[in-house]
Amino acid sequence: MTTAVTTARRPRGRGTARLLVHQVGYEQLSFWRNPQSAIFTFLFPVVFLTVIGALFSGAGRSSYFDGLSVLQYYVPTIAVLSVFGSCYGQLAVALAARRQNGILKRIRATPLPAWVYFVGLVAHCILVSVIDIALIVGIGRLYGVPLPSDWPQIVAMLVLGAVCFCALGVAVASVIANADAAPAVAQLILFPLLFISGTYTPIHSAALNRVAGWLPVRPFNEALTGLFTGHTGTDWRQLGVVAAWGGVGAIVAVRRFRWVPKP
Amino acid sequence: MHTTPDAVHVAGLRKSYGSVHAVRDISFSVQPGEIVALLGPNGAGKTTTLEILEGFRRRDGGEARVLGLDPGDRSGARQLREHTGLVLQEVGVEPYLTVRETVARAAGYYQAPRAVADVIGMVGLAGLERRKARKLSGGQKRRLDVALGLVGNPRLLYLDEPTTGFDPAARRDAWDLVRELRQEGTTILLTTHDMEEANALADRVIVLSGGMVVAEGAPSALGGRDAGKARITFRLPDGFSTGALPVPATAASGVIAVETASPTQALHLLTDWAVREGLELGGLTVNPPSLEDIYLRLTSDAVAPSVPERTTK
Repeated sequence: MTTAVTTARRPRGRGTARLLVHQVGYEQLSFWRNPQSAIFTFLFPVVFLTVIGALFSGAGRSSYFDGLSVLQYYVPTIAVLSVFGSCYGQLAVALAARRQNGILKRIRATPLPAWVYFVGLVAHCILVSVIDIALIVGIGRLYGVPLPSDWPQIVAMLVLGAVCFCALGVAVASVIANADAAPAVAQLILFPLLFISGTYTPIHSAALNRVAGWLPVRPFNEALTGLFTGHTGTDWRQLGVVAAWGGVGAIVAVRRFRWVPKP
Repeated sequence: MHTTPDAVHVAGLRKSYGSVHAVRDISFSVQPGEIVALLGPNGAGKTTTLEILEGFRRRDGGEARVLGLDPGDRSGARQLREHTGLVLQEVGVEPYLTVRETVARAAGYYQAPRAVADVIGMVGLAGLERRKARKLSGGQKRRLDVALGLVGNPRLLYLDEPTTGFDPAARRDAWDLVRELRQEGTTILLTTHDMEEANALADRVIVLSGGMVVAEGAPSALGGRDAGKARITFRLPDGFSTGALPVPATAASGVIAVETASPTQALHLLTDWAVREGLELGGLTVNPPSLEDIYLRLTSDAVAPSVPERTTK
C-alpha cells in the first residue's frame, strides 16, 4: 500500500440514486413503525377532515367561508396542514431528538454524504405528504368536493411548499439546543401560525390577514385554495413569500445545523 | 512512500470549551495494526481527543493526521469515514428498526462492507435479528452499536469506553472481539478509565490527565516505572503511631503502608523493631504496586497543577 487511503470512489449517478432510495426506504420504515409519528403527523389531518365532513357535508356555500362550501374551504387548508406537519413538524422534532440520542452522530460517522441524508429526509417527508394529501382529497371527494383539474400546478406548488417547510423544520431543529424542548417549541410556532393563517377557521380580520400574508402558511393556503376551486393563473407574490421563507430556513439550517449535541 | 505512515499521529493538540481546557497539549501516534488505549479519569481529555480525530470537533491548535488525512479537513472526510469505524459511549440507533435493518442500513453506506449476518454474529446478536432496537437490553444495544462500528470493515476502529456498563461476561466477549479484530490487522484506538481493560487489550497505554499525556508505554513497562518498589502493609496495635516506626510510613483506616525501593531492608527493620517491642504486625503483606496504584499516582499528580489555570477566568 503506497497511499494512506485508497481514493476509489463510488461511481456517481446510479450509485447515488440507489443510496437515496436506500435512505428513503429506511426513513419510511422508521416513520410508519413509530406510532407517535404515524398517528399525530399522518392521521390527525385525515381525522380532522373526516369529522368536519361528517358535521358540515350538507351545508352549502357561505360568505363566512369566503363564498365556498365548508368542505371546499377545508380540503386545501387541511392539505397544507398535513404538509406542514409532515415536513416542518416532523423534522423539527425528529432531528432534535436524533441529535440528542446520538443517531445523527452515528450517521455522520459513516461515509453517507450529508446532502444525501438531507435530500433523503426531504424526499421522505414529501412522500408522507403526498400520501396524506391523496387521502385528504379522496375524503373531500367522498363529501362531494370536486377534484381539481390543474394537477401539474398543484404538484409543483406542493413540492415547493414541502421543501420550504422542510427547510424551516431543519432550521428550528438547528436552533433548539435541547431535544426535550423541541416538541414544545415546534408546537408553539406551529399552532398559532396555522390558526392565524386560517387553517382551522376563516379569519375575517384584515390586519391579521395582512400579517399572515407575509408568513409562510397563508400564501400556501390561498394558492392551493385557488387551484382547488378552479382559479387559473399563478400568484407569484404568494409563491415568492413561501419560497423566501424556505430560503431563510435553508440559510439558518446550513449555518446552524449540528450533528452532535453541544458539549 | 517508503515508510508506513502512522495510522494516527497527533502533536501538540489543543482544544478548549470556553474557559475549560479539555485538551492542553497531547501528542502521540498509533502504528498500523497496533492497539492503543487512552487511559485517564473523566475529564482527562480522552473523548475530546477522540472526537477531534473522528472529525466531530475542530481542534484549536496542534497537528492531527488519521490514515494520512487531516480529520479537520472536510474534503477528505468521506474517504476517512469509509475506512474508520467508531463505537460511542452513547448508543444512537433508531428505536423502531430491527437489529438486522439497523446493520443493513449502515452497510449500505460503505463501498465494501462486511456481510450483515457476519457482523451480527461477531457481536453476539445472532438470533435477535428481528428484534427492534427499542426492545433490546442495555448490553444488547451496546453490541448493536459495536456492530455499526464494524460493518464498514474499518482499518481503524475507535472504541470510546467500549465496555462501560457491561456485565463481566459481556466484557469478556467484548475483549475477545477486540483480540479477534487485532488478528485481522485492525488498528484500534480505545479510551477507558479501567486500568485492567487497558492492561488486557492494549499494546501501548497513553495515560492522560488534565488534558495532557502524563505517561506512555506498554502496560508492563508502565508498571516498570516502579518495578523495583514494593508496598508493605500491616496493622499496629492501639497506642502506636507511624512516628514510632523505624521506616517512613502512611496510615489509612487502620492500615499502615510502607512504600519502599528496598523491601528486604525495610522488612528487616520493621520486623526487628516489632520483635524488640514484643508486637505482632497483623495482616503483614508485601506486594509490588498494582497498575491501578501507578495509574492513580500518575493521574493525581497531574491534576493538581491544572486546577489554578482552570479557575483563573
